Amino acid sequence: MMLVLFHLLILAGLIITAASVVYFRDLLAAAISLAAFSLLLALEFYLLQAPDVAIAEAGIGAGLTTAIYIIAIRGTKRKEDPDE
Amino acid sequence: MRMTKVVRTVADLLYPFCMIFGLYVVAHGHLTPGGGFQGGAVIATATALLIAAHRYDDVSARVKSARMKVFESVGLLGFLILGFSAIILGQPAFRNWMLSRGSLFNDSVAFGVNPGALTTGGLMPLMNLAVGLEVLGALTIITLYMLSGTKEDPS
Amino acid sequence: MRIILGLTILLVLGAAFVHIASDVPFGKPAVTDMDDYFIANGQEQTGANNIVTGVLFDYRGLDTLIEATVLFTAVLGVSVMFRKLKEGEQYEND
Repeated sequence: MMLVLFHLLILAGLIITAASVVYFRDLLAAAISLAAFSLLLALEFYLLQAPDVAIAEAGIGAGLTTAIYIIAIRGTKRKEDPDE
Repeated sequence: MRMTKVVRTVADLLYPFCMIFGLYVVAHGHLTPGGGFQGGAVIATATALLIAAHRYDDVSARVKSARMKVFESVGLLGFLILGFSAIILGQPAFRNWMLSRGSLFNDSVAFGVNPGALTTGGLMPLMNLAVGLEVLGALTIITLYMLSGTKEDPS
Repeated sequence: MRIILGLTILLVLGAAFVHIASDVPFGKPAVTDMDDYFIANGQEQTGANNIVTGVLFDYRGLDTLIEATVLFTAVLGVSVMFRKLKEGEQYEND
């Protein structure tokens, strides 16, 4: 029962963070939302008893991808153009 | 755009801990969850943290692209040699020949759930190390080239 | 109009996903031969307590080798793209 509750919380959090990636106009906030999405996904993998995949997801999804996005945002503009 | 001093200091502080955790995941690949790929990704993430926090000129003095290329090549070459070294001994490729010969990682493993020992696994810890080196080099090179492509303000 | 179109695509895709997901039961088949074999013999044959690593580096070592080669090739492509230009050489689109 407790485990089902955890699963429901994490799945709801996945949907919320994935929607906020599209919603944010600030690109840095969108990149951080994507990192939170990957972290929740890693937690879900861990609850489904796949710790190997969870470590890979946390390392690459939450760490490396976010770093690459932040480097790309540093090289360009931070705000999304509202006219497009 | 330059990151603030808080970000740079925290990145410098966190870097050795991330590095140690990645090396732990690589070295205990045959005992705990993880292995070469995951541990190499964790180490590359630590380097990416350093790269994201500093400017390109400051980073490229510490994390050298040529050294990362050497890591990557040595890792893949070592994995190839370890994998096909069984052929020289007259066994099929990728056979774990170190288990039966009396040498480094040849302790027997108890059946069932047990913490295990580092001296087991035969060729597997060496293969984990090779793959960890390769992944570390590969992912760091990609992040480093990504940073070298962005324009930095002269401020 | 765009909202109606988007909602229609979303509903169709969601219905297809639910249909496929309800067709395949979760966690079935519960008993397979392969994982029983790995759990029974993996520790003795590979000498590693982590059976996932045992499968990756011992039983399926060639797969891991080719996976590592794919990563190496990707980095090779990136290196060629970002190589240092020679004296007087320019990118074609500049």
